[in-house]
Amino acid sequence: MTEHNQDNNSILKIALNLAGACIISGIIIATVYYLTHDIAKQKQVELNTLALKSLVTEADQYTPIEGKTGWYTATQNGKVIAYIVPTESKGYGGTIKMLVAVGPDNKVMKYTILDAKETPGLGDKASRAPFNAQFAGKTSANLKVTKDASNKDDIQAISGATITSRAVTLAVKTAVDEVSNLTKGGK
Amino acid sequence: MKGLWNIFSKGLVLENPIFVLALSLCPALAVTTSVVNALTMGLTVTFVISTNNLVVSIVRNLVNPKVRVPIYITSIATIVTVAELVLQAFFPLLYKDLGIYLSLVVVFAIILARAEVFASKNKPLPSFIDGFGMGCGFTLAMLIIGAIREVFGNGTILGYQVMWSSYQPALIMILAPGAFILIGYLVAATKILSEYIEKVKAEKGEAI
Repeated sequence: MTEHNQDNNSILKIALNLAGACIISGIIIATVYYLTHDIAKQKQVELNTLALKSLVTEADQYTPIEGKTGWYTATQNGKVIAYIVPTESKGYGGTIKMLVAVGPDNKVMKYTILDAKETPGLGDKASRAPFNAQFAGKTSANLKVTKDASNKDDIQAISGATITSRAVTLAVKTAVDEVSNLTKGGK
Repeated sequence: MKGLWNIFSKGLVLENPIFVLALSLCPALAVTTSVVNALTMGLTVTFVISTNNLVVSIVRNLVNPKVRVPIYITSIATIVTVAELVLQAFFPLLYKDLGIYLSLVVVFAIILARAEVFASKNKPLPSFIDGFGMGCGFTLAMLIIGAIREVFGNGTILGYQVMWSSYQPALIMILAPGAFILIGYLVAATKILSEYIEKVKAEKGEAI
């Protein structure tokens, strides 16, 4: 009987031990979260503005477009110089989230990849030159991937990362088409 | 002092986490495609493993042996979460680069192994040193793998071109099979090196 009691006791002790550890851990995390989360939010906003600025450096003002979440117009001296459009497509390692800047003439200006899990060393080259430099000035018709090195009009695929190249190009194309719909509708 | 140095240095070669203990091979394959990735991961692990060893060692007498593993995991997860929150608030750019690695660190076998094998039986200072040494050994191994893979797989090191311009990168080195083959060779190399160290030590012993 005493042995049985001891067993019970020890199970309870074990459970309490683990529960205690979890409570302490919970308190620590909660405290840190409470202390940091306002700052984190603020930094996130700053980071977003930074992403917008890096896309369209000349603009002096960014206004959100009504009815479209995450869309911005970049204006310089009151004149619209670019539309910034969030877009995404399925890459090799999951969703690729990007921001694309499209000029009022429906030509691509620049894009930045916000979030991607592409293979390091292969697919992640999509965020760097020379791949991303190819997009500047392209219209919707030329936004397709080619493996033919002599074809200068279309987008040259990253060797070894065709899926990523296609995904990024498709996402940019979607953004351009959406902007051309918007500008058509507005006129 | 010599004792502490021995605890630290055994993680570098003789008990190198990747090449000798063969723990945490998964990240060694996944994130060593470039030197920068390898270094980032190595430093993250070094931080978590040292801190966790310290914590585990401090609470080692309070922890019931029957639930020690869940408690160690809780401790690792807490450290990682706190690190994530702090980075997110104060160094968002660094957090963006580290984010994916940090969450992976929780499940690294090497961290749990050191908590179980060393920190749960030793005083805080040696435990911290042990974690730090293991972390450095891990970083070293990651750097070696990363450097070789980046040079042969991409022709660059830290992003700078080091191979001649007509060099055709060997794609296999960037992909997982290349890493497997390379780690195999490096394990063999470490074996030769540690045998040599043992031999030198034995000879010294004879001389004395």
